[in-house]
Amino acid sequence: MIYLVTALDAEARALCDHYRLKRNGVLPYTLYTGDGVLLLVTGMGKSNAAMAVSALLGWRIPQPQDILINIGICGAPSAYRVGEALLIHQIIDGNRCYYPDILYTHPLRESPLLCIDTPQSDEAHYPVDMESSGIFQAASRFFKLHQMGYLKIVSDHFTPDTVTKEGVIHLIRSHLSTLDTLCRNLSAAHTVNALFTHNERGEIEAFKTHFTKSQGNLLEDALCYARLKNPGQTLPLTNTPIPDSKRERSALLEDLITTLTA
Amino acid sequence: MKISSPPSPPKLFSHLYIEKGVLEHPQTRRLIEKFDASHIIVIDHYKDVFNRSNQSFGAQSGAKQLILARKEGKFLHEGSQYSDGFGHEQFFYASSVMGCLYDCDYCYLQGLYPSANTVLFVNLEDAFAQLLPYLGCDTLVATSYDTDTLAIESLTHQTRLWLEFAAQQNSLHLEIRTKSANIKALKNCSPNERVTLAWTLSPQEIIERYEHATPSLEKRLGAVREAIALGWKVRLCIDPVIYTDQFDTLYPNLIETIFSALDPEAIEQLTLGSFRMSQSHLRSLKKLRRSDVAFYPYTVRDEMATYPEKIETHILETLLAKTTHYLPMERIRTWQRQS
Repeated sequence: MIYLVTALDAEARALCDHYRLKRNGVLPYTLYTGDGVLLLVTGMGKSNAAMAVSALLGWRIPQPQDILINIGICGAPSAYRVGEALLIHQIIDGNRCYYPDILYTHPLRESPLLCIDTPQSDEAHYPVDMESSGIFQAASRFFKLHQMGYLKIVSDHFTPDTVTKEGVIHLIRSHLSTLDTLCRNLSAAHTVNALFTHNERGEIEAFKTHFTKSQGNLLEDALCYARLKNPGQTLPLTNTPIPDSKRERSALLEDLITTLTA
Repeated sequence: MKISSPPSPPKLFSHLYIEKGVLEHPQTRRLIEKFDASHIIVIDHYKDVFNRSNQSFGAQSGAKQLILARKEGKFLHEGSQYSDGFGHEQFFYASSVMGCLYDCDYCYLQGLYPSANTVLFVNLEDAFAQLLPYLGCDTLVATSYDTDTLAIESLTHQTRLWLEFAAQQNSLHLEIRTKSANIKALKNCSPNERVTLAWTLSPQEIIERYEHATPSLEKRLGAVREAIALGWKVRLCIDPVIYTDQFDTLYPNLIETIFSALDPEAIEQLTLGSFRMSQSHLRSLKKLRRSDVAFYPYTVRDEMATYPEKIETHILETLLAKTTHYLPMERIRTWQRQS
């Protein structure tokens, strides 16, 4: 699943069209859903962003293969061209800094991003937005740092009054392929350590209920050992009869562990 | 949405995170020049990046980044019970780099650090200043404890600086342990009687399975040969031995391969030791779920995980029997849990 997060309705418009998303009323925030994509509109500001992202991720807890991208506009110094897409490697919020991991090659300009409280008319050293630190703080509880991307498109040179709704829609629309590439990069950069299939996991958990917690941990270790050593081998749990007596169960477990770690 | 072919992995150290306080350090300036295509990110403190929550050691291992920092506090730490002090009166290890370019499945660094990135402390001059008061007696310093210093010598030049310092300190002994084949990094350095280059050697099958991104056995042996020819004291370490069902052929064959390539007389010492790790590091290693090494049913006693005594004894007896064909016992050192 790809979690997209924007602050404004205007930023979401082109994304809804591109990914054919439909409004979903399950949360008290604007949410669109579609095939493998969720799009959340947080509203402006860090607090709104943090609360909305927490609500979304609490409602649908991300799986290890999921990614999150915050896409939106930003003000920037004149050294950055209006319309340029920036990939953020450092989010600065007062004395705190946040660092998403960028573990892939990409053609984008990287930049720090200042996360501020109100629209910025004064020149700053870095591009600025108003939500990224809130999104990062909430999302980093659920996502690994390399599974998040912060894509900002320069909308103005600290003249927020000149930014129009139509302008924002156009800016985002012009970077849909950039977003697709970022999705691809983020999805490829992560490593999923799912050693067992869903069915195998169910079988293991059911089997472990016959043993103490500590015995279950020993079995889990032995199963991991066997799977990592011989990835193709099936687990020897199916159809193993469970004895009634505690002593026999312990002996069975010992035999199993010996077999698995041989 | 369809996801097509994966992107290429980034170049090594595509991002340099640099503490504000060391931006002007000569070592930093040199590295910025060397990695002129990398993104520079200025940070307050290395821990802001290195110690972040929710990093993925596994994902970072394929795309390591470099953090340049100033070491505050102690560079030197007392050698641990897991290592051999080789009979010196004092034994320290120096922690001037955190993290390693190599990616060995059995390495305790995976359990020790939250990040696979490398922290280079650029103020090595402070390590030398801290060491000076201890040099009134015979002292061993292991320089590659938390990293493989020779593997990144072309970046750090730290081994060269250690060697220059050791040349002026008569009571200082260095052990530079490595899996690297980068012997050319030492070609302009003069061999020193008090400096031992120690190579960790493993069967090629073990290298391929567990020692990712490291030079082959053949390359390591080539580097050892060159080091001997240049006049360096050389120690060989078959440590850690990773026990597998092919142990009885892999490791005896390794010893034969070693001594068909090297003159036993030219080897100062050989150390043998089976895999061991603190229980807490092993727990962290298990969480990564990367290798079967983490999940072997080790025996844990006094917080130390080792192979069961029977296997540990079998490992040592087998290797000792083979090694003593080539080296006298007094030049063989072994690590075994004290019972």
